[in-house]
Amino acid sequence: MKELQELARKLLTEGTVKVVIGYEQGPRGVRPVFVTDAADCEKLIFDRRCVTNLATYLNPRRKPIAQLGKAAIVVKGCDARSVAGLIREKQVERDSLAIIGVRCGGVLEDPEGDAELTSETVSVRCGGCEVREPKLHDYLLGELPPEPPVNPRRNEQIAALMKMSPAERRKYWDEQLSRCIRCHACREACPMCFCVQCTADKSQPQWIDTSATLRGNRAWQTMRVLHQAGRYVDCLECERACPEHIPLGLLARFVADSVEPRFDYVASDDPAACTPMGVFRTDDEEEFIR
Amino acid sequence: MTQQRFLSHEGLVALVTKLVAAGTQVIAPVRASDDVEQVDYRPISKLDEAAFGVRLPRRPLKELFLPPTEVLLYYRQTKDGVEISEVPTNARPRVILGAVPCDAAALEVVDHVMSWDYKDELWFARREATTIVSLLCNLMDAACFCTAVGLGPESFRGSDVLLVPSEGGGYVAYIVTPKGEALLNDSLAEASEAAFAAAEAARSEARKKVEPNLPSIPAEFSQWLAKNFNDPIWKTLSLRCHGCGACAALCPTCHCFDIVDEHDGSEQGVRRRNWDSCQTAKFTMHASGHNPRATQAERFRQKVQHKFSIYPSRFGEILCTGCGRCSRNCPGGMDLPEIVSELMAKAQAGPEVNKQ
Amino acid sequence: MNIYQPHLMRIQEITDETIDTRTLKLEFRDPSVAAEFHFSAGQFGEYSVFGEGESTFCIASSPTRKGYIECSFKATGKVTNALRRLDVGDTLGFRGPYGNHFPLEEMKGRSILFIAGGIGLAPVRSVIWNVLDLRDQFKDITIVYGARTVADLVYKRELEEWGKRSDVKLCLAVDPGGQTPDWKGLVARIPTAVEQTVTNSVDTFAVICGPPIMIKFTLPVLAKLAFPGERIYTTLENRMKCGLGKCGHCNIGPTYVCKDGPVFTAAQIQALPQEF
Repeated sequence: MKELQELARKLLTEGTVKVVIGYEQGPRGVRPVFVTDAADCEKLIFDRRCVTNLATYLNPRRKPIAQLGKAAIVVKGCDARSVAGLIREKQVERDSLAIIGVRCGGVLEDPEGDAELTSETVSVRCGGCEVREPKLHDYLLGELPPEPPVNPRRNEQIAALMKMSPAERRKYWDEQLSRCIRCHACREACPMCFCVQCTADKSQPQWIDTSATLRGNRAWQTMRVLHQAGRYVDCLECERACPEHIPLGLLARFVADSVEPRFDYVASDDPAACTPMGVFRTDDEEEFIR
Repeated sequence: MTQQRFLSHEGLVALVTKLVAAGTQVIAPVRASDDVEQVDYRPISKLDEAAFGVRLPRRPLKELFLPPTEVLLYYRQTKDGVEISEVPTNARPRVILGAVPCDAAALEVVDHVMSWDYKDELWFARREATTIVSLLCNLMDAACFCTAVGLGPESFRGSDVLLVPSEGGGYVAYIVTPKGEALLNDSLAEASEAAFAAAEAARSEARKKVEPNLPSIPAEFSQWLAKNFNDPIWKTLSLRCHGCGACAALCPTCHCFDIVDEHDGSEQGVRRRNWDSCQTAKFTMHASGHNPRATQAERFRQKVQHKFSIYPSRFGEILCTGCGRCSRNCPGGMDLPEIVSELMAKAQAGPEVNKQ
Repeated sequence: MNIYQPHLMRIQEITDETIDTRTLKLEFRDPSVAAEFHFSAGQFGEYSVFGEGESTFCIASSPTRKGYIECSFKATGKVTNALRRLDVGDTLGFRGPYGNHFPLEEMKGRSILFIAGGIGLAPVRSVIWNVLDLRDQFKDITIVYGARTVADLVYKRELEEWGKRSDVKLCLAVDPGGQTPDWKGLVARIPTAVEQTVTNSVDTFAVICGPPIMIKFTLPVLAKLAFPGERIYTTLENRMKCGLGKCGHCNIGPTYVCKDGPVFTAAQIQALPQEF
């Protein structure tokens, strides 16, 4: 991706940024990279294996990264929505970032894979993508690829779940959530989980159990997913991080799909857009909150 | 000194049936219910439920000996104070069939800390009640490096028996311990010289597949790590690390834990031991708010130091069996062989460039 | 009975040392445990409120006094706040004794200089009473103790007792601004109080405990008095859980505070990786 490498080289040499957060080829598939030396810009790539949402690295608590200085970040349209969310929620200042948007035609499920994009290999979140050209950017690179194929798997899973009775659905989720070991990898990998002290870590009061029992696991996962309402971008970092392979994205998608019809809102890549849960207005539809 | 005998396929089938009938739990690699391409260690009732030689099980044997959460005691408030009830420290007899050698070895590595001055009865009750039958591993990939840490796909370490696939669907059985002997004694026949020679050849072939991944880690590496505690490389190596702790969860040798109390109603509850990881921010957080490992750079350093320097200096061996799960699952793309290589290269580059 | 199982203790007495520091005097509910229990000054335990959790404190009473143990703590978190809600007669848990201890045998026949600040007096108090209960086995005993204000001084009754003894040299100090009109002690921070009280280090061990900043500025004073690092003893705090070397929380490099400590010499601490 010469365009990207040249831009990165220019930004670093001119001192516009001190680090470019992008993707590189690692020992096992594509992974995040932090380029601080213009000579290393040839490491930067962008292709269908660039699955990770790099916005997680903008969390200001990640001091070793923040200390590198002003960052340029490579984003797909979906990632840009996370960046917009971080700006909107005052975690990151717009001016502190150089956003390199890259036009995207879908990514593989597996950053280690090398397959062509098909309805079986493409990530479940890519089908029907409306942000192939990231609107939040300082630079916009690449050519607009064709629309990504649709991987029906997630919608099939959701449809199957919605056909179940509440009791059956409860049984399904109890089976999944009983595997949770409360490692909180989902939280650490999530771009929108940036709280300095997570409710789950509070001991005064002890809001939820910390042990990996079904009682505590249900509380933890539903609490985390509810906190995503109106902020969820379906990047599926949580699922990729989960060592127990719990379909966390499925639970979060349900919350997102509940927000959309009620509030006519999906996570926006416009930092100025107001999230349904993030704004209080005196002319709110609901009387109880006015 | 191991002895080599022969275990036929029929012999193994019969053994499993006999064990299950006697109430012994038999655990083996089994195709995962959520993804048939993946394998998990699960209880089986018949040998044909097992899936040997398909894939490295997603999770190690650790959770069978140190569960993600376990009760240490029950308590109940009474008129006179508090009553506590013990948890049983005996365990159900189990046989693990078809363990990968890196998972079996890990248990012996962790035995050191679990018996350090105070014997952890909960861990050892399960250790004593379990017989481990490993299978020669041919499931290696680029993330594996068991040979670099003094082990190997053909290693006996931690196993009571090592099986090497042989003629007619049977196995050459290396009996490593008296426990292994007691388990298999009635099921074994003599192994022919040819079968034994073939098994030995298979063992060294397997080893050769892993060796190129990472050279043997020398003893001096542990000392170099201790002397270069303040090296700036920790920061650069850990930038992509999320501190998510998935590595620790999947690691066969990571054993750190937290102790918490939980109510179960207003009058009673439990004290539990839960998995914990040095990769989380609050692992070393003091009540005052002071945190000696305040950023991911320090926490990542702790992981490498504990595994490759601290544990060896206290217990004589590396707290890692080279199974590769941490690398395979890392959402940030961290790769332990790559990291160890980079550190070893720096160690070999010369005397400490960065003094403490 | 597994190694994580605590002894049951009953609260015999509660003393509020200051507004936020409380001392509990605990007896073993099981008389056979009480009869057998012994420990050495400097060791710690895991004290628990059932349903809330465990917390780490040193044993603040002396090993020479049988039948009970004492702990002193500030309510900062979930467990310590729960401890403060307990009453005389209530039951709590205790696991211990854990860790190493002050080398009293080595110190016999020599002099000891005790230096403490604020609640740091708690672990030092265990040694002080241990030594005073065997007074003739030691030479000169000097205690330099201070706090931010008069109200913050702990173990006030005992300070009075120590002050009255002719075989103890006691110097009390409060920070400038912390004195009351009738304050008779020094008005100085601990490093200065030590400078004003101690003239030499001949044949003397130093035992020092207190806030990190106090230790930081007192060590140079001790160095000027020619105390070698190997004769200065202190205790380290770190986040602890199991107390017995397995949970992995307390290590500083290869040193486990719960096994190699919590008592360390200044020389040992200087050699540690600076990660605490």
